[in-house]
Amino acid sequence: MTAVDTAIDSGVRPSRTRHGARFSEWIALYSMSVLAALVLSAILVEATGGDWRPVVNALLDGSVRHPGRWGETLATAAPLLVVALGTVISSKAGLVNIGQEGQLFVGAAIGTYFGFLIGGPGPINVVLILIIGAAGGGLWAGVAAGLRYWRGVPEVLSTLLLVTVGGQAVAYGLRWEWLLLAPEGSRGNRNQVSEQLATGNRLPRPDLFGNEFPLTVFISVILAAIVAFVLSRTVWGFRLRMLGRNPRAAQRSGVSETRYGATALMLSGAFAGLAGAAMLTGGGFAFGNYQLVPGFSANIGWTGLLVALVAYEKPLAAIPVAVVFAGLRTGSNFVSGTGVESRITDVISGLLVLALLIPAAVMFLRDRRRARAAATERV
Amino acid sequence: MADFFSSVYEIFTTETTYSNGALLAGVLAFAATGEWVAERSGTLNISVEGMLLGGAFTAALGYHVTGSVAVGLLTGMVGGMLIAGVQAEMSHRLAADQFVVGLTLNILVFGLTGFLENEIAPDSTLARKFEIPLLSEIPLVGEALFWQRWPFYILYLLIPFSWWLVYRTRWGLELRSVGENPQSADVSGIDVNKRRRQSIYYAGLTCGLGGAFFLFGHVGPFENTIVGGRGFIAIAAVIFGGWTLRGTLAGCVIFAGALSFRISIQLIGYDINSELLQALPFIVTIAGMAIFAHRVRAPAALARPFIRGLR
Amino acid sequence: MSNTELGDAGTDETNTSSVPAVRLTGITKRFGAVVACDSVNLALQRGRIHGLLGENGAGKSTLMKMLIGLVLPDSGTIAIDGTTESIHDPLTASALGIGMVHQHFSLVDALTVWENVALGDAGRLDPKATRGRIGEIAEQYGLVIDPDKRVGDLTAGLRQRVEIIKCLRRDPSIVIFDEPTSVLTPEESEQLFESLRHVVAAESRSVVLVSHKLDEVLHATDDITIMRQGKVVDQRRSVDADARTLARAMVGREVSLRSERAALGIHSLDDNGLDDNGLDGNNLDRADLDGIDLEEGATATGHTFETADSDTSNIAPDIGPTAVPVLRIGKAVVHDADGVIALDEFSLEMYPGEIVGVAGVEGNGQRALGDVLSSLLVLSSGTVTVDGAPVPTGKSGAMAKAGIGVIPEDRHDSGLVLDMTVAENLVLVDQSRAASRGLIDQKRLNAFAVEMIEQFSIACSGPNAPMWSVSGGNQQRVVLARELSQEPKILVAAQPTRGLDVGAIEYMSHRLETAAATGVAVLLISSELEEILELSHRIIVMHSGRIVGEMPRAEANFEALGLLMGGAAA
Repeated sequence: MTAVDTAIDSGVRPSRTRHGARFSEWIALYSMSVLAALVLSAILVEATGGDWRPVVNALLDGSVRHPGRWGETLATAAPLLVVALGTVISSKAGLVNIGQEGQLFVGAAIGTYFGFLIGGPGPINVVLILIIGAAGGGLWAGVAAGLRYWRGVPEVLSTLLLVTVGGQAVAYGLRWEWLLLAPEGSRGNRNQVSEQLATGNRLPRPDLFGNEFPLTVFISVILAAIVAFVLSRTVWGFRLRMLGRNPRAAQRSGVSETRYGATALMLSGAFAGLAGAAMLTGGGFAFGNYQLVPGFSANIGWTGLLVALVAYEKPLAAIPVAVVFAGLRTGSNFVSGTGVESRITDVISGLLVLALLIPAAVMFLRDRRRARAAATERV
Repeated sequence: MADFFSSVYEIFTTETTYSNGALLAGVLAFAATGEWVAERSGTLNISVEGMLLGGAFTAALGYHVTGSVAVGLLTGMVGGMLIAGVQAEMSHRLAADQFVVGLTLNILVFGLTGFLENEIAPDSTLARKFEIPLLSEIPLVGEALFWQRWPFYILYLLIPFSWWLVYRTRWGLELRSVGENPQSADVSGIDVNKRRRQSIYYAGLTCGLGGAFFLFGHVGPFENTIVGGRGFIAIAAVIFGGWTLRGTLAGCVIFAGALSFRISIQLIGYDINSELLQALPFIVTIAGMAIFAHRVRAPAALARPFIRGLR
Repeated sequence: MSNTELGDAGTDETNTSSVPAVRLTGITKRFGAVVACDSVNLALQRGRIHGLLGENGAGKSTLMKMLIGLVLPDSGTIAIDGTTESIHDPLTASALGIGMVHQHFSLVDALTVWENVALGDAGRLDPKATRGRIGEIAEQYGLVIDPDKRVGDLTAGLRQRVEIIKCLRRDPSIVIFDEPTSVLTPEESEQLFESLRHVVAAESRSVVLVSHKLDEVLHATDDITIMRQGKVVDQRRSVDADARTLARAMVGREVSLRSERAALGIHSLDDNGLDDNGLDGNNLDRADLDGIDLEEGATATGHTFETADSDTSNIAPDIGPTAVPVLRIGKAVVHDADGVIALDEFSLEMYPGEIVGVAGVEGNGQRALGDVLSSLLVLSSGTVTVDGAPVPTGKSGAMAKAGIGVIPEDRHDSGLVLDMTVAENLVLVDQSRAASRGLIDQKRLNAFAVEMIEQFSIACSGPNAPMWSVSGGNQQRVVLARELSQEPKILVAAQPTRGLDVGAIEYMSHRLETAAATGVAVLLISSELEEILELSHRIIVMHSGRIVGEMPRAEANFEALGLLMGGAAA
């Protein structure tokens, strides 16, 4: 080994003795930046004449403390987690899917359409809606996949642009009775709304300690375990990671970028679509009350994407992150009671995401700097 | 059907159609020009939406405090640049993912302006109209282009200036090199991430102006839903234009035309698929990319972060 | 071996000024625990060409990067014309009159020549003045170029010309050339050195030539500094130097094996026409070196080989008239992304057990050839057949499945996944040996990896070490281990020894020869003629995507190949 080879070895790999120090560094960085985000939010509240303490109380009441609230929080966390899991899959393949919001909405819409079209007995109908919803989301992402692999259009752009297209397409569907619009009698006073799912055609909502939440919660956790297993233990996951980390090595080794990439992108869309269908069939009042309305997706797609990114593409880490973000959402309902505008929670979650990005970025940069310093000689 | 066509004809021969279109195109042009600069440096800056909204809000604040549109424009720029600051420093100093930062910023600004709008409730107004004699008498488009609320005319300076900046100055040359091949630029002694940060600040400035113009030229009182996806249309315009300024502006005009056509035709009682028309800019952009993606070359390092020693 | 400082020794004999253009004193740079440069003293005189010689990783690039402000020294001083300066960025260096001609990565393809030349300057952008300056330089040094051409459209040689103009435009008094000949034919290299000579003599500039090629440095320089493991181990005048002692200084022991000498850029024994600086080819003849203590060499590199291997391996396998080619490439045509032709009716047949060397200046289609055989490129027309069966081109994994192993030109490009572990990288191409029913069997994967790590002496902390934590030489071994474990019929080795130190080069050469001896057809693509001549049984020369010459090793020599590489008709 030459001097430099040694340099690369010793400079890049964190040595055993430094390991403990590194861990506490991580903790310190995370707590510092999260604290900064929270303090900043508090200052904002104070500066506009509010008081931060009741806001915190309201957040906690709304997300966990009040009766029935943590069930609501989990119910919100479930679709976030499902969206995040899909995002993890596409990210592992090296794809940047940022169109979950649209995929979710389109999935839910297609699920609704076929759900009512096909009908069938309650439980079967629910499963049908979920499957078709997933297929719908997958198809919508499939448009981006097709553009990517046959026309060379970057998926970042197409998925983003397709969000609006999808939203408008569903809104269009909600104008026509032959598509999604409910018949005149069951519309109530709204003019763009689908028919409501019958009581028998909804996901069961078990009741635990006075908290009820849809079955989606269990489904999403099981999915997280499955995704984690598939990505780390199966040959398919191995090959997908290979594609994401080095597409040329993958191509040479027999991993078809088109096949694996398109599959990953469509799977990612399918998860978003599934989340949408789950929101429809099990979301309850928080999500359109078992019927499709404009704005049904309610930023769950965007937030789910952020959950995946904050969890650093780790399926199991996405579970707690999803719960935290869901808590901010459900908690916000209680904030308006304190006289502080409830949209402060959007600010808090935004600041929180930014804060959570910082530690990893800082550590990454430092590691890189060390590695680079060590590897400068490498020709 | 003939009736419909005569209505369309009427729309195309009415000056207000062009005025409305020009207003919308103006907003898009402010945002897209800055976004174009940012993308040429290699950043796919998706926080345009947030920058527009932030700019509009701080412009309203500025007007609220001083009662002057000019001050409002200035504070609008500052607002846009504040958001640009977060985007730039996070993504090109700390090397956080630019899409995450951008998405988060959009959500954050939306929440923040909604929150502050409620707490402060700034009031604002439309700016004065200003007629440029003679030119405003050009049939059809004269009024649209030369009898506008005065902040519109800033575009006539901003666009050529941006072109000159990118193609004729050293800064622009370095900017383009950074967007094409950051490794080479680095070796040539150019601070890659600094140039990228600067270009995002520039985008923040023009988007802030755009937001302010939207407020003073189009809406009047501030509401945090006013931007409504126009930032994304501006991004679409840059892509549609194949990363040239000319194409970008053409994209702005076409998209604005489509959007204002919808308004016009609704005004005379037709409802032709407003959803389709709203989605049109995006569909056109996607179709354009699908057709031209192999021929049009995006900046080679677009959306690729630069970290020294990492290819 | 004298270790005097050249700058002082040189002053009274030559007519250069007594103050050196550059004096580096006690320069030290540490990266973590490793000292890349260890109290280096170096003086560059005006009007002279200074060769900086050393293996990859000896510290010469770091040293030069400190001189142009890309790396900051930990201690030591840099004096320019007698004044101590602190060079903290490239612009400062440029203001002090220091310029560098980079090996790679300094040009932007999408920009024109003049824009590239202007890049990195300060002050107002002035296209007219820049074009004018390019014209002046063209006239002065014979470096003619069209300033409005897009750099992406230029050949490798012309691109280097742009690099040189970009450097000379600022009229630097100190010019550093970093491995300039890798993209040039021998003839072009000659021309380059001639104009270098001109640059130095006419304007009393000071030139540094950084190189790992011994002959080149001996031939083209006035003074030589040799670095090893961050230290200056020898400094002398070129006229007082001979290849043997330089080689010993560079590697730290006697250079014994032929492939080692090839690695040092010493021409093979039977053609030393270019060695006019006192290098007697026979100095290095195997006959003379037989007495060298091979044990010492073996200990230093960490491997023990039978010398017999390398002695006999250059004998071509017996290919009878009835032999069946294992690989047949028929009239292959490839267009690159910009539509430029990269392979032009390229035809080749290979037989089991032979090593075919593909010589040529970089950028003449070798990369496309490697990429086609890695399933990374689709042929516009033509065929690839392995054992008579056609293989679809560009279909993922098809070439590997057909039995073509590849050591790619850039292992980070398609050879390795740096973010995966060593074990995972060892089964990139074929996971079946570590998987059952679609699941990765961690135990079998580990067992296989441990076996490979042992068999190929891969230095790493274990099968689960991330690939990026492994040094370059050992990364290359991982690639080699994986490809050979696939038992390929054909092994493509593209620039297999680039960036490796002498010990690693020896190992690689040995492995390639062994592979050929066991019946693998080895396609050796290299821009280093010495390597080609050293290992091949048969040599083809590529120019502009075509084969311009083909000959058995016995008929090949340095000059003839050099001419062919420049595009002369065979």
